[in-house]
Amino acid sequence: MTPTPSPTRAATPPGLDNRVVAGTFDGTWAQLGHGGDLPSVAAVLAGSQQAAAATVAAYVSTHDARTELLLASPGRVPVEDREQLRRDGFALVDDGVTRPPIAAREPDPGRVWLLTSGTTGRPKRVPHTLAGLTTVAGEQPPRRWLCPYTPGAYAWWQVVTLSLAHPGQDVVFAEPERDAEWPTLALDHDVDAVSGTPTFWRQALLRDPERMARLPLRQVTLGGEPVDQAVLDRLAALYPAARISWIYASSEAGAAIAVHDGLAGFPAVWLGREVPDRARLEVRDGELHVASPVGAAGFDGLRPTGDRAEIHGDRVHVTGRVGTDEINVGGSKVSAASVRAVLLAHPAVAWAQVRGRRAPVVGQLVSADVVLTRPAEIAELTAWSAARLPEHAVPRRLRVLDAIPLRESLKSDA
Amino acid sequence: MNTVSRDEVRSMMGDVLAAQGKPLPADELTPLVDIGFRSLDFSELALRVEDETGDELNFDAPGLRRIETVGDVLDFLEQLQSA
Repeated sequence: MTPTPSPTRAATPPGLDNRVVAGTFDGTWAQLGHGGDLPSVAAVLAGSQQAAAATVAAYVSTHDARTELLLASPGRVPVEDREQLRRDGFALVDDGVTRPPIAAREPDPGRVWLLTSGTTGRPKRVPHTLAGLTTVAGEQPPRRWLCPYTPGAYAWWQVVTLSLAHPGQDVVFAEPERDAEWPTLALDHDVDAVSGTPTFWRQALLRDPERMARLPLRQVTLGGEPVDQAVLDRLAALYPAARISWIYASSEAGAAIAVHDGLAGFPAVWLGREVPDRARLEVRDGELHVASPVGAAGFDGLRPTGDRAEIHGDRVHVTGRVGTDEINVGGSKVSAASVRAVLLAHPAVAWAQVRGRRAPVVGQLVSADVVLTRPAEIAELTAWSAARLPEHAVPRRLRVLDAIPLRESLKSDA
Repeated sequence: MNTVSRDEVRSMMGDVLAAQGKPLPADELTPLVDIGFRSLDFSELALRVEDETGDELNFDAPGLRRIETVGDVLDFLEQLQSA
């Protein structure tokens, strides 16, 4: 079934006949969007993947360059921000109920709004367009994707726009809060491509290795967090037929870096390179700077990303946030990402989180939480770290957790 | 607030040193410098006590004095728990 034509509509997305599985729906984008309607300036709080996918389907079915859309899960929009959205001209669609804008206005034609994750404060609105969010070009091999990202996140839009733009790119949506079920869902629907954060992958590999090994994956994508070699190697061993990609993206910069060679980091020769339609990358004072051709509106020129970058040999590694990475131990600076990398290199460590903890005399001490793949003594991990790190960087408090903590964003950092 | 006894603090201090292959001498007058118990170790010991009691120690409490021996460490952490 195809949507009713509209004389003012923008080009029909080529992928409208791709299959979509979301909640109880199993059909095509076209079928999902049939009969849907949206206010001309809409902020939609989608409480499920099905509701979110239906919103997009309705949006692209009636997209006529007059509409404006902000789509997010309710958890990403604090209650106090919802009235502000209405004051800013959005009709608020929440659980099927539409509340009109307090100050109605004309739509910004074709505008799609994303929200930042809000990890460093209240979520900010970031202006994009559907075309700008469609970053994958060229012919693509047929794939059936699993999309576990929270609705409206940049990575979620990446999978959605890939499916809308390319025939043969089906999507099976998994609810982020039901993260334990996705391998079963993927097997049931013959998924052969999965995109998730490194934490998402580590958690699944730890929790359900047998079922994970049965997934016939041809494409494995990681993004949203620093990607280390250990998780790439594990995935490459498990899925030898798959292309393994990691994507550096943010709501503001867009998908600025894509690496497909199975190695952590990106080639250092990319720094300073001027290539049409590619991001320009630089490392200044240890921080990654990006001039992105796929960034948000207004994200022009070379911009600091807030992400720490380290050059090791011929690779540049994005290791964590600049603001939270540094731990000051008695005046000696420790990179939490470096400590984390050492812990993750231990064969018994499946996941690690490192932070500074307030301590007497030295100000902060390095502490770490880990999840193990097999029993290991804390003393063993301490000795492992001590052999690889300066004394002040060795975690002094190590805690073993039973399971990998996963936030709605599929990340585990705070 | 739970408290940790002096003996328990001493045992924790032994654990901190043991992780580095160092023994804790029985003589509480032993200078810390002689056994290689440094500021990092002292900080770790304080966090171990905090983890055990479930409360942060108040290091801003007045009347803190020099800590030079094993006994000073034990006295100090005992004193802080009652601060």
